[in-house]
Amino acid sequence: MNPTFSVSDFVAVFNQTIAYAYPTVTITGELANFRVSKGKWVYFDLKDDQASVRFFGTVYMLPGPLEDGMMLQIEGIPRLHQTFGFSITAQTITPVGEGSMKKAAALLEAKLVKEGLFSEERKRPIPYPPSRIGLIASGESAAYADFMKIITSRWGGLEIIHVDSQVQGSAAPAQIVQALDLLNARGEGIEAIIITRGGGSADDLQAFNVESVVRAIAASRIPTLVAIGHEIDVSLAERAADRRASTPSNAAELLVPDREAMIVQNKTRLKGCLQTINYTLQALSKDIELQISQGLNSALDVIVQERHRLQQDILRLRGNDPRIILRKGYARIQDANKRTINSVGMVIPKDRIALRLSDGTIEAIVEKIIK
Amino acid sequence: MTMKESKNYKTLKAELDEALLWFEGDDLDVDKAITQYEHALKLTKELEEYLKKAENSIKKLQA
Repeated sequence: MNPTFSVSDFVAVFNQTIAYAYPTVTITGELANFRVSKGKWVYFDLKDDQASVRFFGTVYMLPGPLEDGMMLQIEGIPRLHQTFGFSITAQTITPVGEGSMKKAAALLEAKLVKEGLFSEERKRPIPYPPSRIGLIASGESAAYADFMKIITSRWGGLEIIHVDSQVQGSAAPAQIVQALDLLNARGEGIEAIIITRGGGSADDLQAFNVESVVRAIAASRIPTLVAIGHEIDVSLAERAADRRASTPSNAAELLVPDREAMIVQNKTRLKGCLQTINYTLQALSKDIELQISQGLNSALDVIVQERHRLQQDILRLRGNDPRIILRKGYARIQDANKRTINSVGMVIPKDRIALRLSDGTIEAIVEKIIK
Repeated sequence: MTMKESKNYKTLKAELDEALLWFEGDDLDVDKAITQYEHALKLTKELEEYLKKAENSIKKLQA
């Protein structure tokens, strides 16, 4: 005999049965009839060639803007509603397949670009080197090991607050957002938050293109550095971060200097100071040399001038030397008393006089005086 | 490594930067330059010591 129920009982029994058999299900299909109600509730179908299932959710768990036709993977709870019928309450929604993931990322990118979330003006500097950082990474990952290895070899005295978080899979977006919230709430002088993971397929990196993650990074009070080990297709999370690094190791390199290089740099700078002192001393000693040489030159100038004046005096004196005049044919005349006779009135005829020439004396007698 | 020591690095570095910056000024006083150089040398050695010995610390949190 078939079991018999009232409508309400049937709904209750159905829900109990399905909750026992399939508490949560994961379904992949093409999005159809997507609509948002009152800016909060989301209704849509997932379909394939033969069937279609109704879903219900909230805008808060959307990975970003969605469009009909995209392939989605949805985790949710099947439920028969008392009045609205069967639907699956979505818990996580993930675009799948390269085309859908790219489409989802492009739609989200366009939306966030419009809001200015990636603009350069929003970027803040990260203290170099920081004293305390928050690290969001999977503790088991190679990315975590690489980051720790490089940062330990390069630098010391850094306090790292590690929040272990999944960085791929359906739980990753919520955990990353929670970790960001946790570190921002703690404050405690955290100067930067580093979110890192290694490379992977587009599917592995999906969490970094989820709207809630991108927004949480952009909204972080503490500056962020996102490092995902891949070369192409920069994720939206990286673009929203204050800084991005190409790999976990690169993040460590960007974050702190190399201690050995720092020691060398300090020594080089110190050497530069010593050179400055040497240059100053050299300049001072040149100044002193210059002053001495200028002093000597002045003294020499005085000597030259004095010598010149002396020569002038000598020449003038020479010009007055009576011997020179005598050599020209003049004579100095003296009387017997050796008085210089400079007038005809000083002698009379018969006086004895002496004519002194340059090379000797002529003694003579005055014969006649003519005036 | 404690927070205090971490701050100590920043203090040392700031002091060294200031000491070295002094040499970039005009009209260097040679007597003071030698004192200043000795000060910078001491800071450089302290920093070197610090950098060689300092270790990072890790604190784990659960999200």
